[in-house]
Amino acid sequence: MKQPPGKLGIREFIAIGILMVGMKATEDTPAIIYQHVQNASWMIPILSAGIFSVPLFLLLKTMSLYHEKNLFAVIQTLFGKYIGFFVCLGIFLISSLTISIDTRTYTNIIRTFYFTTTPNLVIYALLMAVCAYGAKKGIHHVGSAAYLIVYYTLAALYLALLLSTQDTTIQSIFPILGPGPFEIIKQSTLKMTLFGDFFLLTLILPNVKSSRGFRKGTWIALVFISLQSCIILLTYICLFDTSLGSNGYPFHATIRYLSLGIYLPNIEIFFFVIWILSAFIRFTAFLYINALMFGNLFKIKDFEYLIPALATVYLLIGSIPEAPIDVSKNYKALMLNSTGSFYAGIAILLWLTALLKGEFKDEKSKNSV
Amino acid sequence: MKKVKIVFKIFLMLILLMPLAGCWDREELEDRSYVIGLGLDKSKHKGKIRVTMLLANPEVGSLQGGGGSTEKPREIITFDANDFIAAKGTANTIISRDISYDLLRIIVVSEEFAKTPIFVNALSDSLKDKEIRQSTYLAVSKEKASQYFVKNKPKMETRPHKYFQYMIDHGIENGLIPDSTLFRFFKTLERGTDLFLAMYTTASKDKNPKSKQEDEYMAGELNAAGELDETEFIGSAVFKNGRMIGKLTGQETRTVNILDDTTNIKDILMDVPDPFTKNKQRQFAVRIMKNENNKVKMNVIGERTRIFITIPLKVEIMTNPSMVNYTVERNQKKIKNEIANHIKIMNEHLFEKSQKELKGIPYPLSYFARKYFWTNQEYREFNWVKSFIAADIVIKPKIDIVDYGKQSTKPAKAAK
Amino acid sequence: MRKKRIIKPLMTRLFREPHFEEMTNEDEMDLKKQDISRSYHQNLETFKSIYSIPKNTDIKLREFTVRSLNRRAFIIYIGTMVDIKNIQEGIVEKLIQSQQPSSKIQDIVSYPIEKTASNIGDIIGFINGGITALFVDGDSTCYLFETTKTRGRSIEKSINEVLVKGAKEAFNEKVIDNIALIRKKIKNENLIVESQTITKRSKNDIFLVYQKDLVNNELLQEVKDRLDSIDSDKVLELSILEQYLEERPKSLFPTILYTERPDRAAAFIEEGHVVLLMPNSPSCLVLPATFWALMHSPEDHYMRVPYGNFIRLLRFLAVFVAAFTSAIYIAITNYHVGMIPPDLLMAIAGTRERVPFPSIVEILMMELAFELIREAGLRVPSPIGPTIGIVGALILGQAAVQANIISPIVIIVIAVSGLSSFIIADVSMNFAIRLTRFLFIFSAGFLGIYGASALFIVGLFYLVSLKSFGTPYFAPMTPYNFSAKDLLIRHVPIKEKLRPGYLKPKDMVRQRKG
Repeated sequence: MKQPPGKLGIREFIAIGILMVGMKATEDTPAIIYQHVQNASWMIPILSAGIFSVPLFLLLKTMSLYHEKNLFAVIQTLFGKYIGFFVCLGIFLISSLTISIDTRTYTNIIRTFYFTTTPNLVIYALLMAVCAYGAKKGIHHVGSAAYLIVYYTLAALYLALLLSTQDTTIQSIFPILGPGPFEIIKQSTLKMTLFGDFFLLTLILPNVKSSRGFRKGTWIALVFISLQSCIILLTYICLFDTSLGSNGYPFHATIRYLSLGIYLPNIEIFFFVIWILSAFIRFTAFLYINALMFGNLFKIKDFEYLIPALATVYLLIGSIPEAPIDVSKNYKALMLNSTGSFYAGIAILLWLTALLKGEFKDEKSKNSV
Repeated sequence: MKKVKIVFKIFLMLILLMPLAGCWDREELEDRSYVIGLGLDKSKHKGKIRVTMLLANPEVGSLQGGGGSTEKPREIITFDANDFIAAKGTANTIISRDISYDLLRIIVVSEEFAKTPIFVNALSDSLKDKEIRQSTYLAVSKEKASQYFVKNKPKMETRPHKYFQYMIDHGIENGLIPDSTLFRFFKTLERGTDLFLAMYTTASKDKNPKSKQEDEYMAGELNAAGELDETEFIGSAVFKNGRMIGKLTGQETRTVNILDDTTNIKDILMDVPDPFTKNKQRQFAVRIMKNENNKVKMNVIGERTRIFITIPLKVEIMTNPSMVNYTVERNQKKIKNEIANHIKIMNEHLFEKSQKELKGIPYPLSYFARKYFWTNQEYREFNWVKSFIAADIVIKPKIDIVDYGKQSTKPAKAAK
Repeated sequence: MRKKRIIKPLMTRLFREPHFEEMTNEDEMDLKKQDISRSYHQNLETFKSIYSIPKNTDIKLREFTVRSLNRRAFIIYIGTMVDIKNIQEGIVEKLIQSQQPSSKIQDIVSYPIEKTASNIGDIIGFINGGITALFVDGDSTCYLFETTKTRGRSIEKSINEVLVKGAKEAFNEKVIDNIALIRKKIKNENLIVESQTITKRSKNDIFLVYQKDLVNNELLQEVKDRLDSIDSDKVLELSILEQYLEERPKSLFPTILYTERPDRAAAFIEEGHVVLLMPNSPSCLVLPATFWALMHSPEDHYMRVPYGNFIRLLRFLAVFVAAFTSAIYIAITNYHVGMIPPDLLMAIAGTRERVPFPSIVEILMMELAFELIREAGLRVPSPIGPTIGIVGALILGQAAVQANIISPIVIIVIAVSGLSSFIIADVSMNFAIRLTRFLFIFSAGFLGIYGASALFIVGLFYLVSLKSFGTPYFAPMTPYNFSAKDLLIRHVPIKEKLRPGYLKPKDMVRQRKG
């Protein structure tokens, strides 16, 4: 009767993927992208997904050599104990920084748009407490919760997009190439961070029912999200045109502008609920992965108990920047430009090491035998 | 495990206690006073603006049955302030409740203030406040905004939010005023290539207005008599880079609204000279419906930009003063040409005015030029504003008469 | 860990069982272990003393001579638990009147003999169960006759789970009837009715009903183990057993389905669930039960597909309304005023102006009042019942508004959410939703819609981690299993071929085996 404990189905995995990565189009990332590539921003998700798929493919290929091992285990086997440890530590630190900054960004959004006089700390602490509670339940339960709400999230998102088409002008996307092809390619390489979470998701590979399902899920989620983010960005551009540049959080500006006829003029709270639910799921999964990394790094088996402590640490780190502007302008933009390339670099290095070590040959010979 | 449980329990207790302690953003809705209209005027003091607030009294008109109150439906206060955000606090010296912009419907700016350069800065504050929505309308009043609100005394919709809602919605549907939300204002401002139209309104009628065509009036020029509120919404104020530079009449505004695909106008009623009467003295009424978008083609290569605009319109003929038999094909053609011609003249008139007088086009025509360029750089070099002023514009209305109206012969007595 | 080491002995010391002064009943215990004797008189004495005859009025003991054998004999039974007429005609008359010489009791008595027994303890157990015991002088065993006839209701209409379409009969307090009701729906030799005694003192029996060729053996074993592990003197009711069986008895949400409808039980057995029946309980327990099982109603399937889906969606909407309306009202009026259409906002503000309490207090007062009316309506003797409704609606609603204690909109909010809560048929689920409503009101009062959303997601995390006998609460939706996809909406019956995969039934596809 017992299900194998803690295994994620492919549906749940895709749901987590969609919520984790897809949410990025609803915060300040689009605004940061727009500052560089203006009206060609909508191409960025697709192009960077295309670019990122190369290292991701190599990574998944390398990972497939080691059954039921997660990313950190693979890194440590390929790079050796010491280098491996430091690479893993690097990844852990970067993703810790990312989660701190991202949670802070969400807190800022909630505060600026919905709860202007509530202290930041209260909003932030509640966010982290909920995520800690969820993460402690384990990733398969997070997956189930994600699966239960993912349809509603997507439905609400598309409803918002559909409603905003009332005021869009498709001509806004012209001139089609925006700041020029060179800048677009450059930015899409830099903005690989958009999909960097897929790199981190390989950490929960052993928690997914089948590694084939994992690979399939990753690709499905990647394609889906790149298309979805593209559509979202397209809608922003068509709705705001050039004023998107001065708009910190376009999703929230959009839902504040939407109306359902004259009798229901303001419906942003409906979208806010759905948005915050998916944000909870996103950070819960993220927090779990970070705790998993920590557990792997320092060989702690019951890392679930660390989650509340880690959440508190992230809360403290996230509280360091004083003003929301700092977060968005300085830290976030920097992270957005560098993390993706870092992850991609590691993925490629892993593959190269595996290739040089002749692991792929072994695999072939194993198969032939 | 146990420790964690205890921590969670304490946390839970705290959460349960918090509603009792203090809630930061919580405020009962009857604790607030809702500003429906905001007026902005020039102040005598330097660096300040004169803010007028039109506050709604929730008690009036909302109670069913007995307990109707004898209070007034609204309250208006005017004072000097640095900006209208901080004014919320200042207003509390007079108003007993917390001022809230949650229900803000309309921002009225006096013509005088709209023409000053500080107006944009004053209005930009609305982007900072989370209560002010981008769907708030912007209107320009002929007189001072403070006077405008005081003079405006609606007879039927005594509750101000209802009055403005109906007035503006139907005005936009008829095309006599532009759909001038803050959202569009800032979007146009940011784009910098086109002009923005704000609705024009006044509460004081001109002394002896001339009688004009059905839609050629400006606000204050329509001579209506009876027991009524004298506020009129018609025509528009033209803004260039956030500063008012001119006005458009009701007819011109309508033409812009027909040209602009981003506004939702309903069917428009208008008069067209009757080609079947001598010298076209008489006019007949038509209902114009616009269901399709305009087709705009441009030729951006060469010295002068050439712009071709096709306006597809569906027309219903409402009156037939000369009692023409429309079953005859010749008559059908004649009337079709007449309508097309009329609309073409209206449009050409508008483009002439915008090229010569306003030096810009009051709707986002520049969008259509963008697709002829590959990159933003090229488009910027093209310089839409300059190119437009010198451009050749060809307008071609495509009239499709869907209904010739009820065919009737002359009344027997009149025929004799 | 260390803390545990300290706390545990401390706890045991604090909560040690107090020392009672008890009388010993060792003699009686010894007696029960013995066999009956051949001597008529000794047996008579033994049983007279055990059953405290003649103090115990409904214990009937009759002495007579079996004429054909010419031996003394007596029968003993509990008068209130047997069919006396049958005993008279089938046993006593035959034994006294029969002339033909025969040596066997079986030949004389026309009543079907149940069995024979010799252990005193066993015999007592049978007699307590309504069986008649016959002791014949010189025989070392006693004869037992199945004469049980307990008094109780006949099969009646279901009261708590009312349906428009479909079978009306409900379980009653007689377990025999209940089993019969299931049997007549599933005419299959694989339907097993297994009995198990779960308590020591009152010897409560429990009947496990399942389909041998469908049920998953691990599930069955787990249920049996769980039943065995119950360490209690008495479990008198199925609803008490339910609490013993649940993994999280303190949880707000139920994990076992309690129903009084045999058709429902039969449907679950057909899917591979295990059903528990108990004497004296007019209901059954279905395990494992998922969220969906608790939310569904048999009528969803009895109705044609569009109607069935309509009422099902209506029910999900009702759950949503019942749980969230009050909280949303609080959140929106206290935090997100811009959401309300201006006219409504003005109306609410206008009426709230004279109300002395904050809106959260208003809502809590009315919620409480509603729950009071509800509970009162349930407990009031039925002739006065309807009055309560009138009193509640009239006095509390109208008068409270007129006295400016409550604003009219709150009445609407409470009425809508209260009405919706009636639609949830399952009693436990109903309570769960009603209680969560209060939690949501508090969270919405604390941080508006953000607080309510936070609570919602915490609740969701909690619910997905709930398990009912190893089955996740939201299975088969998530974790995904093959199933008939009978969750939010249902299919036409022809397409519902699969049994729920979370049960791991031996036979996944319906209609495959006979």
